[in-house]
Amino acid sequence: MSAAEHLVARQFPTALQFAVRNQTRNRLAWLLLALFVPAWDLLMVAIVSHKPLEFKLFSTGVLLQADGRELSLITAGMNSLTLIVGFAVFAATRRALPLDRRLVFAGYRQSLLVAAKSLATMLVAAGVGAYAAVVLLAFWRPSIGGWAAVLAGSAVIAAEYGALGLLLGVLVKGDLEGFFLIIMGSLVDTFLQNPVGNPIANRPVLEYFPSFGPTQFAAGGAFGHAALWGELVLGLAWAAAFLVSGLIVFQRRTRVRRHP
Amino acid sequence: MADGIIVARQVHKAYGRHSVLRGVDLDIPAGTLVAIVGENGAGKSTLLQLLAGTLAADDGSIDVRGSVGYCPQEPVLNDALTVDQHFRYFAAAYQLRTLHRAEQLLDALHFSDYRHRTVAELSGGTRQKLNLTLALLHDPDVLLLDEPYQGFDWETYLRFWDIVEELRRAGTAIVVITHLIFERERFDTLYSLDRGRIADETATVVPPDGNAYVGR
Repeated sequence: MSAAEHLVARQFPTALQFAVRNQTRNRLAWLLLALFVPAWDLLMVAIVSHKPLEFKLFSTGVLLQADGRELSLITAGMNSLTLIVGFAVFAATRRALPLDRRLVFAGYRQSLLVAAKSLATMLVAAGVGAYAAVVLLAFWRPSIGGWAAVLAGSAVIAAEYGALGLLLGVLVKGDLEGFFLIIMGSLVDTFLQNPVGNPIANRPVLEYFPSFGPTQFAAGGAFGHAALWGELVLGLAWAAAFLVSGLIVFQRRTRVRRHP
Repeated sequence: MADGIIVARQVHKAYGRHSVLRGVDLDIPAGTLVAIVGENGAGKSTLLQLLAGTLAADDGSIDVRGSVGYCPQEPVLNDALTVDQHFRYFAAAYQLRTLHRAEQLLDALHFSDYRHRTVAELSGGTRQKLNLTLALLHDPDVLLLDEPYQGFDWETYLRFWDIVEELRRAGTAIVVITHLIFERERFDTLYSLDRGRIADETATVVPPDGNAYVGR
């Protein structure tokens, strides 16, 4: 084993273990998962009717006939995940940053710390996406394929906002700025994807928002019985772009002028 | 010619238009214990951060040879992690094979009982002990300490000096930043930082009988 491989084998598992621990020990996030996710779904069931809506699948050009309530359950579920995962990862990243600087000074490789945080974020996103998909079953029973598509879409959108939380965690100066950016981003982004009460839904401009890919994938699977893998990859590309930006900012903010 | 393990030449640093350091020179040999004293806001912590490399100088040169241990003034720790988890994290950073040194320091500073507590549960003094220990785990060649004994009780203060003395004898160059010197005879050299320069150098020569005297 080379010296570099030895370093990775030693530093990466330790960093991953503590990154997962940091991102999952947020009590508020657990509370929101337990209460906010089902409450938000319940609200959708209470206020949105079954009226059919047209939902456009951009990659195939097909106009789907979707049940308004079921579509709203998908987008509302995604909205709650973006907020919870975004906040949890943002708070964990910010809290850990001073110690991360010290660890880098002591010889921790910056790329390994960020890789560990990124993988921890993906694991958390997958877990939270699966949880939201299970909660959804209490309100709506789609086909197995449709449910799997909603699960995958939820996990990917959670990954996108977790990655955004990581980027903001190393970028912004105060807690409030980060929280506002996540709230505003998530509201605009997920609201626009749903044609219920939204005049610009089904327009091409939506393609430029992070939640576009996961929403298209979930709705395509649930209502069109289609697996639009390209849309899922688009969501992962957003997550990757946020993570790479986070890595660049992290490297600047933890830079040591002379290595011991 | 400079023979120090820490050599600084004409170091300048400003924050915006506020000039903090205006040409600092230092030459600190291995195995010496140096204090840098000065009033609040004199630029002591800035100088230490420049020596550590966590801050870049605007001008001048800094050469620090060998491994460095840096203990910041405010404890830099993670509330969610236990004392032991901090040791494991830093052992990975320093690439240490064992936690033997950590265990020695836990004993020496009397906080073994807190090994499995999270930082959130620790008192200010115990946090400071952990903060210091993390800078010492790898037995560095150069040790930079910013107000290291703030918050220590008298017993811990004495134990701190035992550890420092042991390191000095082993050849470590130690720089202590402080605004309060209780016992100046402990130091080989006192530097005073005033208006951005090392204004005054006081050498404390320790003769063979161990009775120190202070001379200019």
